Amino acid sequence: MNNKILYSYTGIFDSPDDITHAAKEAVKQGYTKFDVNTPYPLHGMNKAMNLSPSKLGYIALIFGLSAALGTLLSLWWVSAIDYPIVIGGKPLFSFPAYVPVMFEVTVLTASIATVLAMLFIFFKLPNNAHPLHGTDYMKKVSSDKYGISIQADDPKFNEEKIIEFLQSVNAKEINTLYWNNEEINHENKILDPKFLAFLILVAVVTSGVTYFSLNKLMFMVPFNWMDEQPKQSAQQKSIFFVDGFGMRQPVAGTIARGYIPYQFKGQPDLAGEKLVNPIPVSKESLQIGQTKYDTYCSPCHGYHAESDSRLHGQFPNPPSLHSDKVRNWNDGRIFAVITEGQNIMPSYSTQLTVDERWAVINYLRVLQRALNAKESDLK
Amino acid sequence: MSSSLVEFKKKELPKRVLNIGIALLIAGLIIVIAGYVTDPVRTAFNNILGLTFLISIGVGSLFFVAVEYLSGAVWSTPFRRVGEFLSSSIIYLPILIIPLLLNVDKVFHWTHPIPTDKLVQSKAPYLNVNFFIIRVLVFWLIWLAFYYFIINNSRRQDQTKDQYLTKKNIKLSAVFMPFFAITITFTAIDWLMSLEPHWFSTIFGVYYFSGTVLAALAAGTIIIVLLNERGYFVKGIRKDNYYSLGALLFAFTNFWAYIAFSQFLLIWYANLPEETYWFLARWNGGWKYVSVGLIFIRFVIPYVGLLSQPSKSNPKRLLLMSCVILFAHYYDLYWLAMPTLSKNETAFGWIELGFPILIAGLIILIFVNKIKKENLVPVGDPKLKRGIDFKL
Amino acid sequence: MSTVDYTRELSVLEGKPPLRELDDLISKPLETKPNRKFFIALSITLSMTALLVIGLGLTFYYGIGMWGNNIPVGWAWDITNFVFWIGIGHAGTLISAILFLFRQKWRTGIARFAEGMTIFAVMTAGLFPLIHVGRPWLAGYLFPYPSQNSIWVNFTSPLLWDVFAVSTYLTVSLIFWYVGLIPDLATLREKTTNKIKKIIYSVTSLGWRFSNRHWQHYEMVYLILAGFATPLVLSVHTIVSFDFAVSVIPGWHSTIFPPYFVAGAVFSGFAMVQNVLIIVRKIFNYEHIITVDTLEKMNKVMLLTGSMVGYAYAMEFFIAWYGGVEAERFTFLNRALGPYAWAYWIMVTCNVVSPQLFWIKKIRRSIKTMFVIAIFVNIGMWFERFVIIVSSLSRDFLPSSWHHYTPTYVDGMILIGSFGFFFTWILLFAKALPVVSMAEVKAVVEGSQPSHKDH
Repeated sequence: MNNKILYSYTGIFDSPDDITHAAKEAVKQGYTKFDVNTPYPLHGMNKAMNLSPSKLGYIALIFGLSAALGTLLSLWWVSAIDYPIVIGGKPLFSFPAYVPVMFEVTVLTASIATVLAMLFIFFKLPNNAHPLHGTDYMKKVSSDKYGISIQADDPKFNEEKIIEFLQSVNAKEINTLYWNNEEINHENKILDPKFLAFLILVAVVTSGVTYFSLNKLMFMVPFNWMDEQPKQSAQQKSIFFVDGFGMRQPVAGTIARGYIPYQFKGQPDLAGEKLVNPIPVSKESLQIGQTKYDTYCSPCHGYHAESDSRLHGQFPNPPSLHSDKVRNWNDGRIFAVITEGQNIMPSYSTQLTVDERWAVINYLRVLQRALNAKESDLK
Repeated sequence: MSSSLVEFKKKELPKRVLNIGIALLIAGLIIVIAGYVTDPVRTAFNNILGLTFLISIGVGSLFFVAVEYLSGAVWSTPFRRVGEFLSSSIIYLPILIIPLLLNVDKVFHWTHPIPTDKLVQSKAPYLNVNFFIIRVLVFWLIWLAFYYFIINNSRRQDQTKDQYLTKKNIKLSAVFMPFFAITITFTAIDWLMSLEPHWFSTIFGVYYFSGTVLAALAAGTIIIVLLNERGYFVKGIRKDNYYSLGALLFAFTNFWAYIAFSQFLLIWYANLPEETYWFLARWNGGWKYVSVGLIFIRFVIPYVGLLSQPSKSNPKRLLLMSCVILFAHYYDLYWLAMPTLSKNETAFGWIELGFPILIAGLIILIFVNKIKKENLVPVGDPKLKRGIDFKL
Repeated sequence: MSTVDYTRELSVLEGKPPLRELDDLISKPLETKPNRKFFIALSITLSMTALLVIGLGLTFYYGIGMWGNNIPVGWAWDITNFVFWIGIGHAGTLISAILFLFRQKWRTGIARFAEGMTIFAVMTAGLFPLIHVGRPWLAGYLFPYPSQNSIWVNFTSPLLWDVFAVSTYLTVSLIFWYVGLIPDLATLREKTTNKIKKIIYSVTSLGWRFSNRHWQHYEMVYLILAGFATPLVLSVHTIVSFDFAVSVIPGWHSTIFPPYFVAGAVFSGFAMVQNVLIIVRKIFNYEHIITVDTLEKMNKVMLLTGSMVGYAYAMEFFIAWYGGVEAERFTFLNRALGPYAWAYWIMVTCNVVSPQLFWIKKIRRSIKTMFVIAIFVNIGMWFERFVIIVSSLSRDFLPSSWHHYTPTYVDGMILIGSFGFFFTWILLFAKALPVVSMAEVKAVVEGSQPSHKDH
């Protein structure tokens, strides 16, 4: 008489004993597609409905185990492979110290996985379009009544027999439930203009907030990465000292620790006579010398000291260091040039420490000898 | 009213069990005496294992009896007598205490500290022979007193069926708890921790407690399963009662692991030489394998064995796991005490077998005797019917 | 109540209320408009929260220097508050998970509320580690991700374990809470007549249908979650205790710290739950759901955990002497007799002595006295953390660096504000969601379960 599609026959019961009995009888009658709805879980209902034990424990086990192993592996990779760093004298791979993190990640993963699996895979929720929703039956079983619902797609479905069955188990109310046609024919309208406008709004707000926080907010006080600090910076005017200088002169007659004054200022020849290279020629010192030479000297003098640098021709040409003059100079004479500079060459005393200067000189000697090798060197 | 509905028939253990008990007791005694004659120091160390093991079973069982009264648990009521019978081993503790007291100076080197050892000397107000003996005796008397009062009330209830006795026992049990905590802690410190008088750990009492609980529970479970499967208890006991036993075993296995790991991690992490040497001694030579074995026997195997729900109520699995756990407790005590005796290699020989055999024989005899004389089920207990009908 | 009949199981609820009446009673606060009392309470808690906001604003703008912390007392009220609040949270999980595993039915009336408290307490607690780093907006660096610095966080640091433990705890507690709420939200969905509420409840209840094919899995998941939450709750306070105990500071490095901290957490948490529940049951007329029997059982738990805490204090003292380490001996004498002795004795009186009154049945069952004792317990537990942190740090190994700690007004504002923050959430919760689980309470009403007479 109406074009509604039948979903199920329902029966309402007043007591937990009656519903348990009804569920047992339903199983006995051979119904498989039926459900019992009760406001709270009833003891013994699993048995009455002949349900097989829940498999959710396995999901917890699988996810828990893989999380534990995965965490252990990643902690090992992070602290023993990717960035090995000794902390507190402990071995790189310190299993006892990983237990807490492993445990937490295991619990977190397993709990989330189990609950999500239950809600979305086992129950196929969220689902507010089920025929049971919005019915009087639902109202009752959600509060204080117990209901059984035998579905129309049950293979043993037969309207008269079901009514007979429900009466035989003393159901208080027997009703029919139908599919809601609107819900069946409902289509999701993804291209609805309202929905699209909403999406655009979300995008604009998100990007605006992101832009503001990353480009503006993070540079305002107090989020400003400690850019502004109440302290004296170099070259800043001081309001504390009377002379207005932030930086102080050393106390008269003192020198900084580790600082040795250069005694031959303006007297390069004297330096050549008096200074002796204190650094013995060794692999280490030559390597330091090479690094420093390549960094500071090669831009003008070239990697091989032949003045073949990339500045050649664009500049007053720097001299080759293979000239007889330089080759015959003492180490001390070269030291004086590096320390004080010569002609257009500036002083390198701030860039190179005393020891590094001597190392550079050692390396220069190597370069010189390489270009003017004697036969005896080949042996 | 309801307790009269419970039908319980007394049934004696077969003669065979008595013979096994006597044989084990005599064999154990012979080994122990031979041990004291040939190697008294080593036997005395084993005596400590035996004593702390029997304390675990006896006092631990009394603890469970008290916990049942306090928590109002009903699932364990049909089995409570097993705990009561086990706790009667408290009476026989002097068998193991007296030989040790005669050999105190052989095992505890704080009895004769080296003159330069200021640290041990500073502990003399606590670690001296007189106070030690007083403590041991006072603790034993405390246990004995609570055993006597609690178990006597329970036994009287069989005839009188008086609910007032339950109430009385609840009060007694509450009073027992602080005494239990203190005595079990200082028992652990006295007998086990003071073997290395330089070493200290605040959690040590809790560590021994966790083992004690497991040992008592496992010993009880073994006997409950063995007797129940042969119908010595009342009919109608379900798997749910077993499940509760299994769940407790599982929970306390985890508790032990938690306590043991806490102790290890804190000492390992802080790396203070006065603490780490104790663990290093257990990582020396063959002890390394004993230490690794402890993790497996005491935690991994019972954990895996009792993890799934059905396994907790499976009597065969319960029996197997309880045996593992009970063995693990002895193993644990061995791991705690023996590295002091033999530093570099593990000591295992016929002397080590004496005390476990002796204790097994003693417990079998206790049960043969008790089952003959007393009810295996507390027939007068008001909670008994509920315990039999217990559902999860 | 002169004699108890042990042959019968005691009902958790008083009387045998009809199920629908329970629904009406529990959902009543949700269906009625808030009254004046509610707004007065809310304005008090909101003003306290305003203090928190101002205190935090001062801290962020001018820096941590606004607090009383100094060298060597680098941790003070900030971490005291953190440990205090995270401890409050533990009672909720204990009630909902551990007591569930032990099948203690009396938990049903109080579980939902306690779980809610857990979440709010952990939220409050989570504030403190964040603000005490000084620049909380950079806290993202605490999480291990492959960053542009190409260096990882230190996985062997207890402070990092804290990040994992507290965030896991919050997440799992939320899940646990929400899973428990689903059936109740569905009941409310069927009950409500308001259209907007109907939509909200429909969405949040996910379309729950009370199907027994679902209940079966649902109960399994509840069991699994309880099984996870139980070791989780132990681990959280254990890791908090590791923050102290893995170091070598005298008074901090003690192997009993993990179980001792857990017992203390449960202790203070139960005190807080009991305090708030006494008020809730009065206001909402839940006297027959949250019965005096239930409260008495909570008091017994407090007696037990309080005694455990007392045991730990005594053990620490004994081993400090027995261990023979000079610095340890000094620290413990200093706690009891030194500049912070007042705090130490407040702690001992409130935590060890006051719960011993619960040995007396009359006190255990009197609402007024138990309320006062629980307040004492909370004060004592706050002082416990204060004593551990400040007394040890202010007297460390090097006497030349000893320094006394005095809190500032900003410290005070943040402490008061944290209570405001917590109670604001509690008030909103009480008005927005059912504070008692309808499905669980119905399941323990007498006669609500099949009697299994028909075999």
